[in-house]
Amino acid sequence: MLDGARSPSGAQADADTRVAAAPEGRILVVEDDADICRLLTRELRGLGHTVDIAQLADEALTAARASDYALMIVDLGLPDGDGLDLVREMRRRSIEAPILVLTARRRIEDRVIGLSSGADDYLVKPFAVPELRARVTALLRRPSRLRSRRIAVANLVVDPEALEAVVDGAPLVLPRKQFQLLELLARRRNHMTPKRMIEEALYGYDDSVSANSIEAQISKLRRALRGAGAGVALETRRGIGYRLAALTDIAAH
Amino acid sequence: MKRPPYPSAADLNLLDPDGRFRERLEADRQALAQLSDSHDTAELARVVHGLAGAAGTFGYSAVGEIAIELDDKLRSGHALAATDLARLLAALEQALGKPEKSA
Repeated sequence: MLDGARSPSGAQADADTRVAAAPEGRILVVEDDADICRLLTRELRGLGHTVDIAQLADEALTAARASDYALMIVDLGLPDGDGLDLVREMRRRSIEAPILVLTARRRIEDRVIGLSSGADDYLVKPFAVPELRARVTALLRRPSRLRSRRIAVANLVVDPEALEAVVDGAPLVLPRKQFQLLELLARRRNHMTPKRMIEEALYGYDDSVSANSIEAQISKLRRALRGAGAGVALETRRGIGYRLAALTDIAAH
Repeated sequence: MKRPPYPSAADLNLLDPDGRFRERLEADRQALAQLSDSHDTAELARVVHGLAGAAGTFGYSAVGEIAIELDDKLRSGHALAATDLARLLAALEQALGKPEKSA
């Protein structure tokens, strides 16, 4: 069960800070020990992150597929399975967020297996809180495989680092929210992106999001793409979400 | 550097400000005292594993180190001896500031 750790923690900074922090700062903690969860939540919130908790591997997989996490902290000893299997399954499903594995296993072989299963770093229990903070900060500082890569869909190229979209070599200038939306959809090209994931990426918890906010942003983005001659379609599937794909891929199906 | 066996007041303030982990240690101590007379090995393993993962992180290194040793023993398929549990209980009682039971 995802618990209440994700609820907003009282007064927040100004709206711009919230919007900027939300897409980068959401962390999934996969841990069944309530006391460790509470400690992690407090520390991560102290670093300015939003925290979701999953106590089972199944819940973690569901959460990771539904949200675009900046980082996942995964305990290896979960009640419903081995955390390493969870890490492998996440990577198999192309969930690319950095993973910090947390474990009571102390043998070097265990650490090697963890890293070769797709984890990015390892923290052995008992851990010191300053080391946890340092590792989280270091992992978030690393450009992830996804964020560091330019994403091409037909003649559209999205460069998340340069905050730039280009169609046939010509810049496509977009307002910030539309660029964030395009980046998210381009990362998930050919896959449906649930509306909730878009809301989380574009808006902070305290932002009021009207029922039509996402649809309005999608419509504007669709018009901008069409106007620029992008060879892509932005499909709406009612009740499911949105999908960006090359027109040629859609024609082929 | 070896960690001190028990958390300082400053550690407690940072790691367990509301005292909930200390309450858990007390609950685990009571559970282990009862389990020492029972054959519920699954429950025993659960409590020991939990302490192995959490006690050291909250500053209770002495409890954590014994729990880790016993957890490794259980995971490698060995049963715990009465003296193993007695050591863990003694560390918990020391951590909680309780006098050890006389033999």
